[in-house]
Amino acid sequence: MERYTLKNLAAMLLSKDISSQEILEMYMQRISDYDKSLNCYITLNKDDAFEKSIQADRLIESGNTLSLTGIPYAGKDIFCTQGIKTTCGSKMLENFIPPYDATVISNLSNQGAILMGKTNMDEFAMGSSNETSYFGPAHNPWDLARSPGGSSGGSAVAVAAGLAPISLGTDTGGSIRQPAAFTGITGLKPSYGRCSRYGMVAFASSLDQAGILALTAEDAAILLESLAGFDPLDSTSVETDVPKYSQSLDASIEGKTVGIPKEFFDEGLDSESEKVFFNAIKIYESLGVQFQDISLPHLSLSVPTYYVVAPAECSSNLARYDGIRYGYRHDETDDLDNFYLTNRQIGFGAEVKRRIITGTYVLSTGYYDAYYLKAQKVRQLISEDFKQAFKSVDAIMGPTTQTPAFKIGEKIDDPVTMYMNDIYTISANLAGLPAISHPCGFVQSLPFGLQIIAPHFAEGELLNLTHLFQQKTDWHQKQPPDLKKV
Amino acid sequence: MSIKKTDIAYISSLSKLKIEDIEIDNFTRQISDILEMIQQLEKVDTDGIEPMAHPLNMKQRLRMDEVTEENQRDLYQENAVEVEQGFYKVPKVID
Repeated sequence: MERYTLKNLAAMLLSKDISSQEILEMYMQRISDYDKSLNCYITLNKDDAFEKSIQADRLIESGNTLSLTGIPYAGKDIFCTQGIKTTCGSKMLENFIPPYDATVISNLSNQGAILMGKTNMDEFAMGSSNETSYFGPAHNPWDLARSPGGSSGGSAVAVAAGLAPISLGTDTGGSIRQPAAFTGITGLKPSYGRCSRYGMVAFASSLDQAGILALTAEDAAILLESLAGFDPLDSTSVETDVPKYSQSLDASIEGKTVGIPKEFFDEGLDSESEKVFFNAIKIYESLGVQFQDISLPHLSLSVPTYYVVAPAECSSNLARYDGIRYGYRHDETDDLDNFYLTNRQIGFGAEVKRRIITGTYVLSTGYYDAYYLKAQKVRQLISEDFKQAFKSVDAIMGPTTQTPAFKIGEKIDDPVTMYMNDIYTISANLAGLPAISHPCGFVQSLPFGLQIIAPHFAEGELLNLTHLFQQKTDWHQKQPPDLKKV
Repeated sequence: MSIKKTDIAYISSLSKLKIEDIEIDNFTRQISDILEMIQQLEKVDTDGIEPMAHPLNMKQRLRMDEVTEENQRDLYQENAVEVEQGFYKVPKVID
C-alpha cells in the first residue's frame, strides 16, 4: 500500500504525473477493496466526484488551478452536503438529503477540492468508539477487532488506511484527536469559532468545532488555510484573519516553552504509554523546546463538567427531531404525542437517548442550579487554569489518551468508563482552545498519540511544533499492516 | 446519587422519548452512574465565579433585520415524508 499526502498529490497533479481522475480511481478502487472490512464510509459520492475530477483535469491543463484543485477528500457524515445524504450516523437522518452545503464543505469546493464520500461516525457524534453508529462501527486498520476511536472514527480510518488522503471531522470532546491517536495519524481541532459550524449537525453548540484528520501537520496546515475563516452564517464564528499556516511550519521552535501538566499523570496512564510520551518529549528537547512542570488544578473535573454541559446542549439541540419536516417518521401512529414519542424512540439509538435524558434532567426545575449552573462555573475555573498556564508557557503537551485503541465491545455497556476515555481531550473543548494530536510512538504494537494545546487562535503554533517533530521522526509514516481484500 | 425508574420514565416523557420496559432498567443504572460521576462537582468551591456559557465570552453578533433569503419551500419540503399543498402533515389533533 502506498499512502499519499495532499502535498504529494498536489505536486503530482501540477507536474501532470497523474490526473485528478486517476487519483480518484485509485481511491475508489481501494475503497471497493477494503471498505467492507473497515466500514469507514457511509455514502460514496462517486459520480459527482468523477465529474468534478474531469473538470479539475481541464483546469489543470489550462493552468487555472486553485489551492486544492483536483484533490479528493472525505467528509464526516455530520456536514450537510447539498444533494448528498447526510445521516449523522443515525437512523433518524438515514434518508436526509440536505438542500445546502455546510460552509466548510463550500470552502473546500471553492478551492477545487472534491468530496469523495461521507464517513462513518458515532450517532450524532455522541461516542468515543464509533460503536454508536446506526451503520455499525468502523474498524481500526491496525487491528480490525479494535475501535478506531470516535466520534470521527470513519474519517480517521479513511486517512490511516489510505482510503482518502485527508478528511474532515468534528471535535466536541476529543472526537478528532482521540481517533487520530488510535489510528496513528495527525488530528487538528481548531479554536472554537475558527471554522464555521453552519451546516454542521449540532450536538453541543458551545463545544462543537470542525477540524482535520491528516497524515502530516503540513497537510493539515494546507487544508486549514481553506477551511477556516469568518462566516456570517455562524453567529459564533470569529472575525479574525486566517494566517498562511503552511508558510510558518519551518519556523524555529528553539527556546519555546511547553508545560506538562502533572495532572495528566495522576492515574490511569500505564507505564509503557508514559515512557513513549517522554521519549517524544526528548525529541522536542533536541529541537530546543524547554519544558516546565505546570498544574491545571481543575483538570480532573473536566469529564463531569462536560457530561453536564454537553448533554444539556444535546437535549436542546435534538429537540428539533420530530419526524415532521425531515427525519425518521413512523407511519402507524394516529395520535400526535405518540407520533413524536415513536419517531424519536425508533429514530434514536441508546447513547443518544441516554444523553437526551441526562441533559433534560440537569436542566429540569430544581436541578438547574445544582448541575447546569454549577458546571458552567467549573467550566470557567478550567478555562482560568489554562489562562494562568499560558502566562508562562507557549503550549501544553500531554498524551492524547491513556491507552492505545481498545477492543470493539470492551466499553460500550459502561458509559462512564467510555466517557473517561476523553479525560485528556475534553478540557480544550471546554476552554475553546485549539489542540492537535500527532503520532509519537507505539504501545503494545498500536499507535499512540501526543497532544499539544495552545492559546486561542494559535493553530499555527501547534502545526509548527508538530511539523518539526515530524521532520525528525517517522512515526507518522508508519502504516497499518496490509489489509486483505474482501 | 441514584435515580429511580419512575424518574427516568418521567424525564423521558418530558424529552418526548418512549423508553421500552426492557431498556428502562439499563438506563436507570447507567444514568445513575453518570449522575454519580457528575456529583464530584458539588465539592468544588465556585463562590463568586461567573458561569461560562461561551468559550470566548463573546457577545451575540446581530445583523439588520432584512430578508436575505428567498422562500424555497418546495425544496425544503422534499425531505418531509408527508406534505400537502405546501403544508406538513401530522396526525389529527382536533376532532
